[in-house]
Amino acid sequence: MKSLRAWLNRFTGIFSNQLREQEFAAELEGHLQLHIDENVRAGMTPAAARRDAILKLGGLEPTRQAYRERGTLPFLETILHDVRYSIRGFRRNPVFTLTIVATLMLGIGATTAVFSVVDRILFRPLPYAHADRLVSLGLVQSLETQEFMLGRFYYDWRGAQKAFGSMTAENAVTGECDLTERNPAQLSCPYVEASFLPTLGISPVLGRNFLPEETRPGGPNVALISYGLWLTHYNLDPGILNKTINIDGSPVRVVGVLPKEFEMPRLQAADVLLPIAVNETEDRTANGGFGSPRRVFARLNPGVSVQQAEAELQPLFQQTLSQIPSDIRHDFHLKVRSLRDRQMQDVSLTAWVLLGAVLTVLLIACANVASLLMARGAMRQRELAVRSALGASRSRLARQALTESVLLSLMGAIAGCALAEGLLRLFIAIAPTSIPYLSKIHLDLRIICFTVILAILSGVLFGLAPALQKPSDAMLSGRTLTSTSHATMRQWLVVAQIAASMVLLTGATLLLRSFRNLEDQNLGMSTDNTLTASITLGEHSYPTPQSKLNFYQQLTTRLRFGPGITLVSVSDTIPPGGGGLGGRFEEIAVAGRPLFTPGTGGVVASRLVSPEYFRALNIPMVQGNGFREEDMTASQRPIVLSKRLASLLFPGQNPLGQRLRFDRLMSTEAWSTVVGVAADVKNSGLTKEEVPEYYRLRRNLPGDWECCGTWGRTSVIVVRSSLPPDQTARWIRMQVATLDPTLPVDIATLHQRVSKLADQPRFQALLIGFFAATGFALAIIGLYGVIAYSVSQRTREIGVRMALGAQRACVYQLVLKEGARLAGWGIAAGIACSLAATLLLRSILFGVQSWDVATLATVAIVLAAASLLASYIPAHRAASINPVEALRAE
Amino acid sequence: MNEKADVKQGTLALMVLKTIETLGPLHGYGIARRIEQTSGDLLSLNYGTLYPALLKLEQEGYLASEWGVSDNNRKAKFYKLTRTGRRQLEKETRNWEQTTAILARFLAGAEEPL
Repeated sequence: MKSLRAWLNRFTGIFSNQLREQEFAAELEGHLQLHIDENVRAGMTPAAARRDAILKLGGLEPTRQAYRERGTLPFLETILHDVRYSIRGFRRNPVFTLTIVATLMLGIGATTAVFSVVDRILFRPLPYAHADRLVSLGLVQSLETQEFMLGRFYYDWRGAQKAFGSMTAENAVTGECDLTERNPAQLSCPYVEASFLPTLGISPVLGRNFLPEETRPGGPNVALISYGLWLTHYNLDPGILNKTINIDGSPVRVVGVLPKEFEMPRLQAADVLLPIAVNETEDRTANGGFGSPRRVFARLNPGVSVQQAEAELQPLFQQTLSQIPSDIRHDFHLKVRSLRDRQMQDVSLTAWVLLGAVLTVLLIACANVASLLMARGAMRQRELAVRSALGASRSRLARQALTESVLLSLMGAIAGCALAEGLLRLFIAIAPTSIPYLSKIHLDLRIICFTVILAILSGVLFGLAPALQKPSDAMLSGRTLTSTSHATMRQWLVVAQIAASMVLLTGATLLLRSFRNLEDQNLGMSTDNTLTASITLGEHSYPTPQSKLNFYQQLTTRLRFGPGITLVSVSDTIPPGGGGLGGRFEEIAVAGRPLFTPGTGGVVASRLVSPEYFRALNIPMVQGNGFREEDMTASQRPIVLSKRLASLLFPGQNPLGQRLRFDRLMSTEAWSTVVGVAADVKNSGLTKEEVPEYYRLRRNLPGDWECCGTWGRTSVIVVRSSLPPDQTARWIRMQVATLDPTLPVDIATLHQRVSKLADQPRFQALLIGFFAATGFALAIIGLYGVIAYSVSQRTREIGVRMALGAQRACVYQLVLKEGARLAGWGIAAGIACSLAATLLLRSILFGVQSWDVATLATVAIVLAAASLLASYIPAHRAASINPVEALRAE
Repeated sequence: MNEKADVKQGTLALMVLKTIETLGPLHGYGIARRIEQTSGDLLSLNYGTLYPALLKLEQEGYLASEWGVSDNNRKAKFYKLTRTGRRQLEKETRNWEQTTAILARFLAGAEEPL
């Protein structure tokens, strides 16, 4: 208590320093007078009296000093003094200060921003209890590469497995459902088992989970709603519990509300959770005898690893395989992976690449700071020597250097945080939607602390080094001695910097080229003047195939007569995305030929289209006429093959008039006649090679609209128009709204849709490009710093050389050679590192090899040119040295 | 006795407080003189060391100071005990007496053979 009070007094004492000293001077004066008076009374002369008084006091200055030290906190006082001194120094040398602060700002800012993004993706805790023990498991095959299960197998596995504490499932496809109330909306409604939330370790914030009786057919209709829906539709009213809401026209009782941070394990939207209500015995034979498709998640028993679980599931998997028809059996595999891996899929590589890039930039930045501080330290050797000679202790000098470094680091850190905030906003603005959680990202305090500490450490480490060396007396003599150990160290740093920036530049160039290749590739169709509208019809409002058919017929008729509209086509999907319902090549049966052997071919894409489809997308018909308008009502179902599929099925034959059937297992299906061969189109995303494809006509018959869950309810309308896209878009919206005002329409030009697919590569290329540019700039600044410093150290030497008759060209050569030597080493090391680093990029590159000679050569030349330029400036200064002045100086 | 004892660590504050308690508000020089006289000139006291000690006691709230005029009309700063200062003095006195008593017993014991 008392010591706290004293400390406080001493602390405030720092700021009332002068006042207190004046007062003490008066007190001391009074003391002396009293003493002198007494001494004089005792018979001394005034001079002797004063002398005795001061002697008895123990000296005036030591007394003042002791009093001052007690009055304030000497330690803090020194720091304040050092701070003031440092700031004066910074003002005297603003370029140096700004360079360091800017370097740190870039380093800290970029690192913090990227860490904030990457931390969310790679390291964030999933919002489930003990999420590290959650796995996603199931079968994969060429048509579905994300693990799934079929009811029958799922029930077997769930009953017999021992690796998991619990196993649960959601329906394989999350459908839309309509909230049919005063405020209607199309919602996302996953169906889940009662064990779903307990397995994930989630309990509702309000109400309860599903009860067993609610997951039986004919049980009560209940639902859990999301926090978001609770907020937007029911104002967080707790009265929502046990209230009945209308979903797809039927009353459903709300039994619970999900936590705010809840998310589905596959990250799809979830507004309403509904229980899967099936009789398991019946479900075993549903869906062609395999049970309904599911996505399965499980919680590992403590101490069981993913690999162990996979091994334990093998017998069950083998048993399942024996039940799959033998001709497709070979295509099925078991997949068990952690939930995090399931969620991160391909994003994690991007995240690691980003992290690598930004750490490289941070290293370059730290190296720059180190190098600058060392140069400064070397230049201040004389100052340090003088101060040391005047009695400054080594620890005092070190403290001064420390203060300076910490101040610089702090300034850089503050600027860096501001930059990070800006960068983060930029990332969020340009990031593709496929990167999860990006909208939730914010600057993390831990991350800021991390980078700031890193910056301070780098500052302290390199700022302190010169101060710790005992200044030698020789430095007092006025000769600037080249501190060779520092110079060598700095040269190494520059070589490392150039090498690192070479790696960054190579990576960025590869990614940029890969992105350009993606954008410029021939899609096989034309995206100009084409507008697309994607519409998903709700199950409740459009229950029958006929109602769907009617809707699209009415809509296309209305659209056809719109202003400027030349063509309207309807299809279930459009390229370059894959077709909704593909198949296996081996499942194609050709009339009059034996079936293909199982395991041949691969995947085939398929689309349901209207006759105008090919003209709307400008896909040329290479053979035959394609679909005709009169086929729309014909009983025969014609088919168009892609050129690739035609050449696979009928090499050297005329495909026209051939008859085919798909899914040979279902021999009830009618034969389709080939009426045309269309040119190939990019149909597996932008990066993958196109797969063979066939087009079926979607006739104006209800049977052709009878299909397959959500996929069957979504259609894409392609409209070609001579008017500007926004005008046409408005027209489409108006027409859809007249038919069904509640229906959401997703309108985009085809060009936008294609370009969206390139979002992720664009994001990667942009970010890495940004980092490469930053690293490049920093490395060149670093090189410039080293060369300029060395020139300033060699001023006298150069002066002597010139006085002895060296030509300007020789001086240029002397300096440039030094720069070239450093750059050369850096580039050589950079090439080696690039070759290793770009191997990592291989899987995200498109149309470029990771060992691309042209890229490496270009980057090397750019770096070499920039290095020469950076050395040219000091070389020029060296060459314009006046020998007389140089020799006279110092 | 030629050699004067140095002021023992921590005892100066106690002496200062006791002096002020006995004599009432007093200036630095007065305190210094009084301590010297009380010790029977056995203590070597640098008057200068008194001032940081006074400042410390003031910072800790045991003393308060104000400017005044001395008997012979010199301007001087007068220190007086605060209430907490009085309490501190009692406490310190008790502590000190205890310490010396214990020490005395030890020294007495050491002289007797076991």
